[in-house]
Amino acid sequence: MSVRKIFAPGLLALAVLAALAAITAAAPAARAQSPGDIFPYKVHETTLDNGMQVVVIPYDSPGTVAYYTVVRTGSRDEVEAGHSGFAHFFEHMMFRGTEKYSQDAYNDVLKRMGADSNAFTADDQTVYHIVGPASELATMMDMESDRFKNLKYTEDAFRTEALAVLGEYNKSASNPFLPMFEKLRDLAYQKHTYKHSTLGFLEDIKAMPGYYQYSLDFFNRFYRPENITLLVVGDAQPDKVVAMAKQYYGDWKKGYQASKIVAEPPQTEAKKGHLDWPSPTRPYLMAGYHMPAFSTDTPDAAALSLIGQLLFSESAPLYQELVVDKQWVDFVGGDADFHRDAYLFSFFSRVKSEDLVPKVKETIDRYIAELAAKPVDPKRLERIKSHLRYDFALGLDTPGAVANQAATAIAVAGDVGALNRLYQQYDKVTPADIQRVAREVFKPQNETYVTLSYKGPAAPGSQGGADHD
Amino acid sequence: MIDLKKTAATVAVALALLSGAARADQAPSGGIQVVALPSESPLVAIRLMFDVGSIHDPKGKEGLAALTASMVGESGTKQRSYTELLEALYPMAAAIQTGGDREVTLFSGMVHRDKLAEYTALLEEVLLQPAFSEQDFQRNKDQLQSFLANTLPSNDELLGLEALQTQLWKGHPYGHPTAGTVEGLKSITIDDVRKFYQDHYTQANLMLGVAGGYPKGYVEKLQQDLSALPKGQAGRTELPAAPAVKGRNFVLVEKETASVGLHFGFPLPVTRADADYFPLMVAGSFLGEHRTFHGRLMQQLRGVRGLNYGDYAYIEYYAVPPFTSNPTPNVPRRQQYFSVWIRPVVPTDAQFALRAGMYEVQRLRDRGLTQAEFELTRDFLLNYTKLWVQSLPDRLGFQMDSELYGTPYFIDEVDKRLRTMKVDEVNAAVKKYLSLDNFDAVLVTDNAAQVKDMLQKDAPSPKTYNSPVAADVTEADKIIQALPVKPTSIEIVPVAKLYEK
Repeated sequence: MSVRKIFAPGLLALAVLAALAAITAAAPAARAQSPGDIFPYKVHETTLDNGMQVVVIPYDSPGTVAYYTVVRTGSRDEVEAGHSGFAHFFEHMMFRGTEKYSQDAYNDVLKRMGADSNAFTADDQTVYHIVGPASELATMMDMESDRFKNLKYTEDAFRTEALAVLGEYNKSASNPFLPMFEKLRDLAYQKHTYKHSTLGFLEDIKAMPGYYQYSLDFFNRFYRPENITLLVVGDAQPDKVVAMAKQYYGDWKKGYQASKIVAEPPQTEAKKGHLDWPSPTRPYLMAGYHMPAFSTDTPDAAALSLIGQLLFSESAPLYQELVVDKQWVDFVGGDADFHRDAYLFSFFSRVKSEDLVPKVKETIDRYIAELAAKPVDPKRLERIKSHLRYDFALGLDTPGAVANQAATAIAVAGDVGALNRLYQQYDKVTPADIQRVAREVFKPQNETYVTLSYKGPAAPGSQGGADHD
Repeated sequence: MIDLKKTAATVAVALALLSGAARADQAPSGGIQVVALPSESPLVAIRLMFDVGSIHDPKGKEGLAALTASMVGESGTKQRSYTELLEALYPMAAAIQTGGDREVTLFSGMVHRDKLAEYTALLEEVLLQPAFSEQDFQRNKDQLQSFLANTLPSNDELLGLEALQTQLWKGHPYGHPTAGTVEGLKSITIDDVRKFYQDHYTQANLMLGVAGGYPKGYVEKLQQDLSALPKGQAGRTELPAAPAVKGRNFVLVEKETASVGLHFGFPLPVTRADADYFPLMVAGSFLGEHRTFHGRLMQQLRGVRGLNYGDYAYIEYYAVPPFTSNPTPNVPRRQQYFSVWIRPVVPTDAQFALRAGMYEVQRLRDRGLTQAEFELTRDFLLNYTKLWVQSLPDRLGFQMDSELYGTPYFIDEVDKRLRTMKVDEVNAAVKKYLSLDNFDAVLVTDNAAQVKDMLQKDAPSPKTYNSPVAADVTEADKIIQALPVKPTSIEIVPVAKLYEK
């Protein structure tokens, strides 16, 4: 069921990495519009008596509405040992029915309305989404509020669903991206729960069937109105949505218990890891640098996002050198992936042959060092700002796309207004800010570096038949 | 000063205005065919679909169409290097997306109308004045080879989806990946690319699609500028008939992997241009609409039995980019296939999962859809298909596909056909087309020799569960575990050899 958190396979991994970054970079979202706002829609925000937030964004999509439930719980909340991956597993259980709507009845209702419906879990959030007919809004309210309040499943259903989660892990594990990503986080974090990926450690996934009681507690702790935002985008009237939300969600009892998440202490030395891969493949490299939690109070997040573009956009000199001119890699990408707590600026590349891996790393290091050493050309900065603004506008082309942006902003920053505040920060970022942030983030002791290569019977060399010079 | 706020705010309005405004016409001379969807949107989507794809790859030079597309869309021009092109596109957040399939090649992009003239100039330059430089050639060739040698083998699911197609059309122009083969790409020269471009990038082969808020006269001007392409010959390349599948043929793609991915299918003599497409669409959706939870396969294999992450059925080629739930336009094909996709299972469940997938297809054939099942699936599709065309490029893409299939606008056609359809038509189409007598299957697996042995023995494969299951499941399992697979042939192919040549 979940998707976005597990980066997809192969070349796609990069695309997904980029997509993720795009979502997060653009992600962070407003109230009444004011001049200079990037987010072009009026955002109606209400808090119900039980603490649940209701956000309505009218959008001109006649007859269609996006109905999103954002739970600000994700794999970040998995503080108990042995329970990594549980937030994601629980997302699966949310489709197992209630007394009023059995699993089959729930599916049938969504099917009859022709809705596109699913859910995903990430580090900081779990998002349940439906795009369907606006005329069915009351039905959506009825079904969604019912499962969030009254979820009920048997231990048998629980054990069966645990197997689907294992299947989800297995489908992703054939790609080098997943083990590298797991290794990167495992090395980079000692205390904080970002140590494990959203899917969780494999041994924890295998143990999931035994945790029925824990799952009931999980529901009681986190699936509470104070921890949830209902987001409706599209052909909807704010007053009516709020009145309906009061009717359907108003009797939901408070009781959210926030996880006690331990902050990650500063990294004091560079870390390195390597993975051997069982099948022939070109080598990969991945690196991450600790960066601050997302905030729009300072220009730092915006500066990091601009650094992502300065280094890894297709028009960036680094990309040009490695992909177009020297052709040492067949792809390279990276960005600041904004999170609620301090996370990583990371990059990922597939290299043409083993002997080039250190050279590629040196090249990337050289460009990073340059950012810290001398101010970037202000004109280049302006071009990037133009790109980000156009890119944002071009991406808001369906109610679902708008809801995705808003949902990520809610999850990471707490409100849709963060989108506007982030873009206001972009405008303020100076070449000196870029230098300062680059110096802070790309310190040598702040780095975690992971490589992967084939160690098979044959000489690894260049895969794919092409030579490099 | 651009008004980006207005931009996004009015996109949806613009889309709403689009329906019914489509204009499709062909220059009287048989030149460039145009599909235009004007609206008040501040954005403009442009899609150029050439009637050329991997079916045109010469034997021994598999990948030439894909490489030529990259040498046009992802390379320098006579005026500027690829680096300079990317730099020029960057501030407007625009791109020239380059893609292809068996029968078509697509160049597409979307841009704010403030930047339309600038973008169009670049697009024209790219299409009309490719530089065909040695440096771009090496890069693009390597990337295609690396896709075949690295990306596909490290993605069991994409690998299996592709391998089923290449198996079904073995020896046919559809029978190699659109990206080509490693050896085929190796033997391509820059002169091959140059000639391929000259021969196939013609006015007669081009369908130009434009949607959104472009100014008056824009399409005509673009059409005229693109008339610098050679005229070319009208008419599509003839395709040999799809190879007949005889018996049940298995290909085991062997690689080190923790799970087994399963795919099976057979050619279907039906496309969107046929009346039978629509009842089959209902049947396929009932069995397993892509990435939904209400299909029979999904409910039975994953929901009830926890076998894996997902199980779906298709009645045509379905491009599967990550995380999308809706079909991508502009992959039209004149020959299609029915397929079942069973996402990776643990090796001990592989035989049972295969049988369970077969059982569901057989069950559909034996008993058909009930009136209630039919109505539910029909109602679903009536609304769901409209979600496929929410964005400007998707709306345009589906319109262009409809022109190519020679049908009314597909989404309208689904609506029209389904509203008058009867359950008997669906069940008749199922009986007529969905037979498991002959199929090809692909398993992506480790220990292929053992799997081969298991398939050959065809012994019962009882399924054990980690918790009790309902009585009807136990009953069905008795049939499923003993369902004869009766493989006609089983071939083992090491993953490294699959797309070598």
